[in-house]
Amino acid sequence: MTQVLSDFVKALRAADVRVSTAESIEAAAAIEAVGFAERSLLKTALSQVLAKSADDKARFDDCFDRFFTTAELATLGADAAADDADEAGSDANEAGANEAGAGGSGGDGSGSGDGALVMLLEQGDTAGLQRRMAGAARNVQLQNIRLFTQRGMYMRRILEDMGIEAVDDLLHALVRADDDDPRAARLRELKARLVENVAELVDREMLLYTANAGTRLREEVLQKTPLARVEMRDFKVMHELVRKLAKRLVSLHARRRRVARRGRLDVRHTIRKNIEYDGLLFDTVWKRVRVDRPKVIAVCDVSGSVAQVARFLLLFLYSVNEVIPKVRSFAFSNHLGEITELFETRPVDEAVTTALNTWGMGATDYGGALAELERLTLEDIDHRTTVLILGDARSNYSDPGDRALRRIHERARRVLWLTPEPPALWNSGDSEMRKLGSCCDRVEPCRSLKHLERVISEIARTAI
Amino acid sequence: MSAASESPARTAINEIQQGFAASGYIASDAIATLVYLARALSKPVLVEGPPGVGKTELAKAAAALFDKPLIRLQCYEGLDEARALYEWKYGKQLLYTQVLKEKLGDLMAGAQGLKDSIARLHEFDDTFFNEEFLEPRPLLKALWAEQGAVLLIDEIDKSDQEFEAFLLELLADYQISIPEIGTVRAKHPPLVFLTSNNTREIGDALKRRCLHLYIPFPDSRLEQRIIETRVPELEARLRGQLVSFVQGLRGMDLKKVPAVSETIDWARTLVLLHANELDNQLVRETLNVLLKFQDDIEAIDAEIPALTRSAVRG
Repeated sequence: MTQVLSDFVKALRAADVRVSTAESIEAAAAIEAVGFAERSLLKTALSQVLAKSADDKARFDDCFDRFFTTAELATLGADAAADDADEAGSDANEAGANEAGAGGSGGDGSGSGDGALVMLLEQGDTAGLQRRMAGAARNVQLQNIRLFTQRGMYMRRILEDMGIEAVDDLLHALVRADDDDPRAARLRELKARLVENVAELVDREMLLYTANAGTRLREEVLQKTPLARVEMRDFKVMHELVRKLAKRLVSLHARRRRVARRGRLDVRHTIRKNIEYDGLLFDTVWKRVRVDRPKVIAVCDVSGSVAQVARFLLLFLYSVNEVIPKVRSFAFSNHLGEITELFETRPVDEAVTTALNTWGMGATDYGGALAELERLTLEDIDHRTTVLILGDARSNYSDPGDRALRRIHERARRVLWLTPEPPALWNSGDSEMRKLGSCCDRVEPCRSLKHLERVISEIARTAI
Repeated sequence: MSAASESPARTAINEIQQGFAASGYIASDAIATLVYLARALSKPVLVEGPPGVGKTELAKAAAALFDKPLIRLQCYEGLDEARALYEWKYGKQLLYTQVLKEKLGDLMAGAQGLKDSIARLHEFDDTFFNEEFLEPRPLLKALWAEQGAVLLIDEIDKSDQEFEAFLLELLADYQISIPEIGTVRAKHPPLVFLTSNNTREIGDALKRRCLHLYIPFPDSRLEQRIIETRVPELEARLRGQLVSFVQGLRGMDLKKVPAVSETIDWARTLVLLHANELDNQLVRETLNVLLKFQDDIEAIDAEIPALTRSAVRG
C-alpha cells in the first residue's frame, strides 16, 4: 500500500504537482481515515491533502484518473483486505481464485514457477491476474521507466515475473504431444491476451511517469539558450517561464517593512520596553510600519540592432509589469514612448507586437531617447526608484546621451544596464558602453533567462 | 466487494452532510469530506474560492454542528500578534509595580546588606509576566478553550506575509510561544478554518500544513438546494428561473460576477416584491441587488431579454 502511494506521489510530481514528504505522510493517514472502498471519496480526500491550488487540483484529477484505474483500486482494496486477514468473507470470488490471488500478491520476489499463472489464465480469473500483474510490475519497479525504448524490456520482465515460463513450457509439452490440441490453442490465445494487457499496463505507466519530462527538458534548455536565438514558436513557453520567474522573485523580495521614527505611539511595545525604567516612558516605539515597494522605470531599446532580443526583453518587461505594482515602461529606437498603459491593457502577444511596430525598427538614437526619458520621468524619479535600461548601447556614432543619463543617475536610487552583448564586445565599433556605463551603478550582460534571473533577483533584493 | 456495506468513513461523512443540511448549510461531498478529514487527521483547513460562496459560512456551520464556540479572527494588512494572539495588561502590571514598591520595605525587613536583599528578592516567583496579566486575543483564546473550539482565520490573504509565517507554529503543532512565559499548548486542538479569496498567493509553507479545498461557484442543482433552504418562501418555479438566470450571468464578462450570497439576496428581494415570474422589467429594477458595479449593470442591459427568456424557458 505504501508502495502504491509513493508511486502515486511520484506520478504527481512528474505531472508538476508539488508534493512534500510531509504531505505524502499525511496522504497515508488520510487513506487510513477514508479507506479504499469508495473511489470518489478517496479522490476527494487525497486531492485535499496533496493538491494545494486550483491548477494543482486539475492536474491531480487527471493524474488520479490515470493512475488508479478501477481495476487497480479493486486490487488495492483486496490487498488491504488481505492485510487485515479477513479475505474470506469479503471477497465474492470462489475460494480457489482467492488463494491464487493471495499467492500472487504475497509471492513478492519468489520465482512462482508452480503453474499458478496457467491456472489463473485457464480459469479466466481476471481479478487474480490483475493482482498478479500489479505485483509483478512492482517487483520489476516499473515506476522507474523513463524512455520509450524501455517498453520491451519492462514487458518481458513483468511477464517473466508473472511466471510466463511455466505457460510456455506447458504449451511446448502440449504441442509436442499433439499438434492440434484444443487446450494448447486456447492457452495460446489467452497468453496473447495477457501480453496485450501487460503492454497496455506498461504504456499507461510510461505516460504517467514521463508525462512532463519532455516539457521540462525543453524549459531547461530554453533557460540556457541565448535570447537572440530563441525561436518564435517558443514564445508562449518563454512567456510562461519569464512570468514564473518574475512572480517568484517578486514574492520573495517584494515587501520590506520598516518601523518608522514617528507616527502613533505603540503603547504595548513602549511599555514593555520601559518596564525596566520603573514604567517611566521615555524610550518610545512607534506604531507605524513603513511598507517599501520598489519603484521601477524600465526602458527598452527596440531598434534594429537588438531586434532579435527586443521581443524577449519586452516580454520580460511585460511580466515585470504584471507582478510589480509600480513599473513605468518605455520603448525607443529613434523616438521614445511610454508603453505602460499598453502593457496594462493588452494581452502579451498584442502588447509586444504593438510596441515593436510602433517604436521599433528605427535607427537607435540614444541621445534623443535619453533626453526624452529625462523630460518625461525626472520628476518621478526619487531615492526609491530603480531605472532599468535594456539595450546594447550602440548609438550609430551619434550623441550617446550620457549627460541626460547622468542627471537621472544622480536622482535615482540606482541605474542598471542590461545588455545582450557579452563584455568582450563592449566598446567595440559604435558601442558607447564606456561612456554610458559610467553613469550606471551596474552593467550586466543578460543573454539568457538564467542571466535574467540572477540580475532581477539582485534588483528585487536591493531595490528598496 | 464492499459496495454492499458502507465504510465507516462514508457513514461519518454522510452524517456530517446531514448535520450541515439541518442547520441550513448545504455542503457538497467535498466539503463534508474535508471536515471529516480535518477532524480525523486534526489538521487545519485552508478554503479558497471566489467571494461569497460560503467559505466563512462553512466555519460557522461547523461550529454549530459540533457545538463548539466559534472564535473569529479577521485578517487585515498590518495585523500583528498583539491583536491576534495576546497582549499584556499594562495597567495592571503598572499597578503591580506600585504595590510591590510599597511592600518592598516589609519584604526586605531584616535583610543584611545588598546581597541579602537581592537573594530575598529572588525567592519571589516571577509574577510579573504570568498568565494573570495576559489578555488573550482570538488565537490564544482558541488554544485555551476548555471544550475545544472552531477557530476561523478569515481572509488570510489580506494579512501580511510575516503574519502568515507567525501562524505556522500554531497550525503545525497547535501551540504558541510567548517569549516571557514559554510555550502554550492547546488543551483540545481547535478545528481551524482559514479562508482566502486569493488576492495574493498564499505561501507554500502554510499550504503544506493545511488541507486544501477550493470551493467554486455551485452548479445549478446545488444552488437551487441552497436557495431552497435559505429562502423557503420562494416558490419552486421562480427559484428555477432565478438560479438559471444567475448561472447565465456568471458566464459573462463582468467585473464582479454574482456570488451565492447575492443570489440569496435577490431571492429575498423577489419574495418581498411578491413576484411570481421573471420578466425584463422586474430584472432591470432589481439588478442592483445582484450586480455591484454600475459598469456591469450597463454592460448587461442589452443582454437582459435574452437571459430572461432562456431562464424562463429554463
